[in-house]
Amino acid sequence: MTSRNIIPQVLIFIFYLLLQVFFVRQLVFFNYSFCFAYIATILLLPFETTRLQLVILGFVAGIFVDSFYNTIGANAAAATLIAYLRPSIITLLTPQRGYDERQTLTMRSMGLSWFLSYIGLLAFIHHFVLFMLEASNWGLFVPVLIKTLASVLFTSVVIVIMQLFRND
Amino acid sequence: MYKLFQFISKQRAFIMFVLLEVLSLWFFYSYNNYPNAVLFNTTNFYIAQALKTSNSIKAYSRLSEVNDTLALENQRLREALMRLQAAQLVQPKVNYKADSMVAARFQPVVAKVLDLSTNQFNNYITIDKGTADGLAPGMGVISSSGVVGKIKSCSQHLSIVISILHTEYTMSAKVRRNNEIGSVKWDGKNPELVEMTDVSRYKQVVVRDTIVTSDFNYVFPPDITIGYVTKVGVKKDMTFHDIQVRLATNFNSLSYVYVIKNKLEKELKELEEQPLNNVPSKK
Repeated sequence: MTSRNIIPQVLIFIFYLLLQVFFVRQLVFFNYSFCFAYIATILLLPFETTRLQLVILGFVAGIFVDSFYNTIGANAAAATLIAYLRPSIITLLTPQRGYDERQTLTMRSMGLSWFLSYIGLLAFIHHFVLFMLEASNWGLFVPVLIKTLASVLFTSVVIVIMQLFRND
Repeated sequence: MYKLFQFISKQRAFIMFVLLEVLSLWFFYSYNNYPNAVLFNTTNFYIAQALKTSNSIKAYSRLSEVNDTLALENQRLREALMRLQAAQLVQPKVNYKADSMVAARFQPVVAKVLDLSTNQFNNYITIDKGTADGLAPGMGVISSSGVVGKIKSCSQHLSIVISILHTEYTMSAKVRRNNEIGSVKWDGKNPELVEMTDVSRYKQVVVRDTIVTSDFNYVFPPDITIGYVTKVGVKKDMTFHDIQVRLATNFNSLSYVYVIKNKLEKELKELEEQPLNNVPSKK
């Protein structure tokens, strides 16, 4: 994180958390599809963010959201995990020609297909860990999987829509 | 030693990751630890304030619904009152009269719902009354239409309620028509349906039977509606009914609840524990 863009970064971080706890928390489709758009706070941090920073921010975001959901620890565990995995996933998704120096982590810069696979993959890990922890029971594996897939779809759509509102 | 520090500094992200992950899982699996009970939940002062504000905006859109449920409850109460008054005219044959203390042991306290969820595997409700109003963990919570859950923890002005939509909460229940006892539990799938178990399949249960709270219960007064039977089957072991119950309470539009204070609970518990101590042990 450079000092040049630190203030907008902090504002975006807070914005997504507030969006999560006051707005998208209420949105549920058919009791199966939930939105955890707050993971965008971690997924959209600039490429230069170090793993250590990511992990700490992931934990903070998770605990904040947990406090509102009364699921202390579940979101924190899932968000810390995806924060740690983020650099590996970015490496995994490297396009054939490699990343461009000037590219930033936005949908406009990275292209829709890269952005969707990036969000989808990490959202899947996050949601699956979260729902499985909450269920704490392998007997609920199938409902958890359905919930996870439906929610990944919902979360991704919301994050993509939020990207369309960016004006840079 | 130098190599150790070098290793730590090189792997600091991984070490931090493991530490935070262990911390979160510890938070998650120990229900009653300090940070969980006091700081990071919806009874935290700042979080509750924030929820109150956002709730006061939403409250207007729910007013007509709240009105309807209250009107319905009034009607039901009036019916019950008239039935009781009518029954008073006929003196019962057995000369039994409940002790006034026992008859009036349940006292309701009205509380407003600040926050609730219905779609997790373990759902909680936050209400705006706490120890200052005499509430304590373990008390039952009902709505104008049926049972809601029981209090998990209290702060001075707020409480968290374990909703019946919680996969680890079992409630003692009976069929109103023939007093068959069983227990009601949520399976974590559909927030409108719960399962009733432990009812022998040789007992008669039919669709549309009303399931109410049983008499063997500290938490709830007897005869509070839990729900209505929608499906009756037989479990795989062929000894028990597999009963599906539609909840009477509509959790999605819950705005006001009644917390049930049992004034005799302490006395009852003391009484139950007493004989165990007095039984002479065989040596």
